[in-house]
Amino acid sequence: MTAAAPFWRSVYDFLEGRSRAAGILRMLISLAFVLAVWQVLATYVVTNKLLLVPPAEVFRALAKESGNGALWTNALATVSAVAASFPVAVLIGVAIGLALASSRLLALTAGPMLTALNSVPLVALAPLFIAWLGLGFASKFVLVTIFTIFPVLVTTETGLKATDKILIEAARSFNASRWQVFTTVTLPFAVPFIVSGIRVAWARALVAIIIAEFFGSFAGFGFAILAAGQSFDTATLLAYVIMLGALGLMGSIFFEWLERRLAPWRQE
Amino acid sequence: MNRTVKVMAEALSIAGINKVFERAGKPSVEALRDINLSIREGEFVSIVGASGSGKSTLLRIIDGLLPASSGVVKVSGHTVTRPGADRAMVFQQDALLPWKPVIDNVAYGLTIAGTPKRDAHATAQRFIDMAGLKGFEQHYPHQLSGGMRQRVNVARALAVNPKILLLDEPFAALDAQTREIMQTELLNIWQKSGTTVLLITHQIDEAVFLSDRVIVFSARPGSVREEIPIPLPRPRALEVKRHEAFGALVDRIWHLIEHEVRSAVADNRA
Repeated sequence: MTAAAPFWRSVYDFLEGRSRAAGILRMLISLAFVLAVWQVLATYVVTNKLLLVPPAEVFRALAKESGNGALWTNALATVSAVAASFPVAVLIGVAIGLALASSRLLALTAGPMLTALNSVPLVALAPLFIAWLGLGFASKFVLVTIFTIFPVLVTTETGLKATDKILIEAARSFNASRWQVFTTVTLPFAVPFIVSGIRVAWARALVAIIIAEFFGSFAGFGFAILAAGQSFDTATLLAYVIMLGALGLMGSIFFEWLERRLAPWRQE
Repeated sequence: MNRTVKVMAEALSIAGINKVFERAGKPSVEALRDINLSIREGEFVSIVGASGSGKSTLLRIIDGLLPASSGVVKVSGHTVTRPGADRAMVFQQDALLPWKPVIDNVAYGLTIAGTPKRDAHATAQRFIDMAGLKGFEQHYPHQLSGGMRQRVNVARALAVNPKILLLDEPFAALDAQTREIMQTELLNIWQKSGTTVLLITHQIDEAVFLSDRVIVFSARPGSVREEIPIPLPRPRALEVKRHEAFGALVDRIWHLIEHEVRSAVADNRA
């Protein structure tokens, strides 16, 4: 026991460390843990296959969907809809955030209304949008945009207003014009805030696209999940949920990386 | 008697400056009352006073960041209405752009003025060398110590080749030892560059050590209480601080502001 203690100590220190290998190992451990719990649940607790299936069956369903091409059709529908709407939504969010941060009157007038809109459960409006815009791309686009704008807008405004006053004063002291203060101080200061808003928005965009596909579409992850649910094909349903999770995770990792890249000084 | 008149060009003249802050719905605050001051070219002058004596407000008026309520500030005979290339301010250490490396921070004032990047970097490099920052050009502010960040700030201000360097409590955030080293380095840089310097500080010994003249401010509203020439010989090394004459000057200034410092401390407690 005494001989083993230093060994476990060094394993612990390694896992706690900052190396890439340690990071990958930590991820594998948590993945193994989730799969184990899932397996135990499916074997001993929820044995009804309509409600829960063990991991292996889900991966078989995933392979089947991939083999017959359905996975790729659905992925294309979902990813292309998000890829088209998300950047537009981010741009609109940043633009509104800029406007709110640069005009006090606008912020005071429009602020409360935006807060109210933001607290409306937008999901409830989804059927209405689909009734207006029909089944297909237009309603997906609008839903994703509406879901995504708010976090970007809020962090843009916050970031622009959070700029250290002393940095602005230093710029003005060098006779910087208002535009120069904006481009050299306020905007760079706000960029990491904006990126963290985009990271939150990404998760919301995925929720929006699934809702849009639930209510009306003929392809996409949301459509496939709904179809699998209606035919009690739990394995396929979970397979698509895993795909969605992967999409969310990829975005999250990318935007976190971008945040670190753009604002290394905020890590210390 | 030598009949030649020694002509000392005036770098900065301040005449009848008053500053009142008007606040909506609250009584207005008189920050500065009838400030008159003249600084010769190449002179090193400090202003000391209790907190709340309007020292920083005066510095911002001189820099052109704040308008005076009345009175005139002139730099080399030109009336100040806004910030300009003839003045440069050194703020506390956190006034550097955290996303720019040292070289770009030092070149900042030049690029704002429209100097091409290549020329701006060449000039910046000269002042980086002068400030003892060689080898740190590509470091970011968060990778530097407090003392080094302040050197970057001083280099950035000097790089625009100002007639007057305005220093706003530049060493207040540094520990005591670093502060003393920075003081001697500032003296070296000042002697090399020949710039006129106006320093705001609450450290009386710092003011005495660095200056040709110390202006003692009284508080609420800020006004010039006394001007004390510092006849200590130059160049000065840290040993000067142990001289009797140095101690006597520090004591004299302390007695002038002691009462106000104590009441400022009491106000902060209340």
